[in-house]
Amino acid sequence: MNAAVARQSMGCLKAALRRTRYQKTWQRCLATEAASPSTASITKNAYSQRQHMDKQKVSKFQIWPQVPSPRATHPDPMPTLKQQEIARLDPTGARTRLFSRDHADSAKVGDVLMVTTKAGEPFSGAFIQMRRRGVDTAILLRGQLMKTGVETWFKIYSPTVTGIDIIWRKPKRARRARLTFMRKPKHDMGSVDNLVSAWKKERYALRSKAKQGGGKQIRR
Amino acid sequence: MPPRIPIRVALPRFAAINCSPSLLLPHIPQRGIKYGWSTAPPRSKHKRFNQPSAGLPALTTGPAAALKRRENTTPLRTGVLAIKKGMTSIFQGKTRVVCTVLQMDQVQVIANKTREKHGYWAVQIGLGARQGRNVTSPMLGYYEAKGIAPKAELAEFKVRDQEGLLPVGAQLLPDWFQLGQHVDVRARSRGMGFAGGMKRHGFAGQEASHGNSKNHRTIGSTGPSQGGGSRVIPGKKMPGRMGNEFRTVQNLKVLKVDNELGVVLVSGPIPGPKGRIVRLQDSKKRKAPALPYRVKALEQLDERQPGLQEKLEQARLRHLEMQAQRQAHVAEV
Repeated sequence: MNAAVARQSMGCLKAALRRTRYQKTWQRCLATEAASPSTASITKNAYSQRQHMDKQKVSKFQIWPQVPSPRATHPDPMPTLKQQEIARLDPTGARTRLFSRDHADSAKVGDVLMVTTKAGEPFSGAFIQMRRRGVDTAILLRGQLMKTGVETWFKIYSPTVTGIDIIWRKPKRARRARLTFMRKPKHDMGSVDNLVSAWKKERYALRSKAKQGGGKQIRR
Repeated sequence: MPPRIPIRVALPRFAAINCSPSLLLPHIPQRGIKYGWSTAPPRSKHKRFNQPSAGLPALTTGPAAALKRRENTTPLRTGVLAIKKGMTSIFQGKTRVVCTVLQMDQVQVIANKTREKHGYWAVQIGLGARQGRNVTSPMLGYYEAKGIAPKAELAEFKVRDQEGLLPVGAQLLPDWFQLGQHVDVRARSRGMGFAGGMKRHGFAGQEASHGNSKNHRTIGSTGPSQGGGSRVIPGKKMPGRMGNEFRTVQNLKVLKVDNELGVVLVSGPIPGPKGRIVRLQDSKKRKAPALPYRVKALEQLDERQPGLQEKLEQARLRHLEMQAQRQAHVAEV
């Protein structure tokens, strides 16, 4: 009984203290609110002592006009330079489109891509990761060579990369930006040779069909 | 509150009263022939015998000898100031070359230094712009006499001879550098703050275990103890401020110049973060751009800004006028 009473009184004290605290902040707000506009209106158009001194100093000297500056027209030349270089390396804009975020039919992580280079055999593998850096934009493909998982970075605007093809599209969108989990045995895609051969067969069929269609047209 | 009267001011110094000047001399023997001081008259004027006409070999020391020694490593043309803007890459044929983008913002010739007056040949270059209020009065007067708006940054670039000097007020554009030429880039490195011995000097540090206690990254001993002098040898590598010191990268290739963007692209990385002001000049260890290009660059300077000499003359006259006004104002006050 005694203890409960004591607790109650303590509770009262706490509430009272809280109330006074709120009152204090409220008063403080009022005080600052009342004081601020009057001082602001006075100082708004007036120069400080230091500014006045500065103006006086400058007025004693002739200050000549400035020469033209590229900083005024191009404060940051980096985006322009990157765009120029991309336009030179990819005049049709095909590579940019292939990896653009705005197009639904662009290559997405999780797809299987085939990159053809000037150096040798085309490399095909799962598109695991993308590094977007303007001209230095690169993709990481994970494929298999001699039954060993192999990963290779390709700069997409590099003149040595002659072609990039989408072999297979992932039916469901990947929910990660980087599919590093595909390195684990559980998720590893393994060899993509069967997908590549299927894609080649299909493409061959399409081509021959187109040829036949074209032939018919000529006959007509 | 009244100002406090300094009590000690009025008291005469003990030494001033009692000691004659000779007694004030230190007791340590520092005055004598072996310390380089003598009351005797100079025994000879050695310069009398070292004249060029005396048939002696040329001196290997002195200002003239120093300039001669550095002749081959001093660039023919002046360098410029620029701002580091970032890095990108360009493809040259099949190969990808990483490059640093440097922007030349309002780069102007401010002054020339001559052998007769200053002892060496150099060109003073300014970059950017600064508000008049952020410039001191002496510097405002300096720019006033040159006919140039106040600059954000000034630097001096030594040149080999008189041929390297340029008209005051000339603006240098990125095509001052020839495509494919080599340049040396000098800038302050990134400041790392106070760094330990391992990071600053590459010390090995101590082992992680085997009884080591709280001394894993410390520098260890700083020298021998008794017998070895019991002191730390001057210059001992220790923890301290790291970075933010001038570093030069030599022989970078100029990959691209663009007057409109005001940029020079040089191959490879250079010291310092983005926004750092850097100095770039023709390489001292590679060939300068060929003579036709150098002549063309000078002609372009004249074409783009004709009548620099007259402008400078006008600025000088205006400076004298303003100076007289200022002095009159001071006299009035």
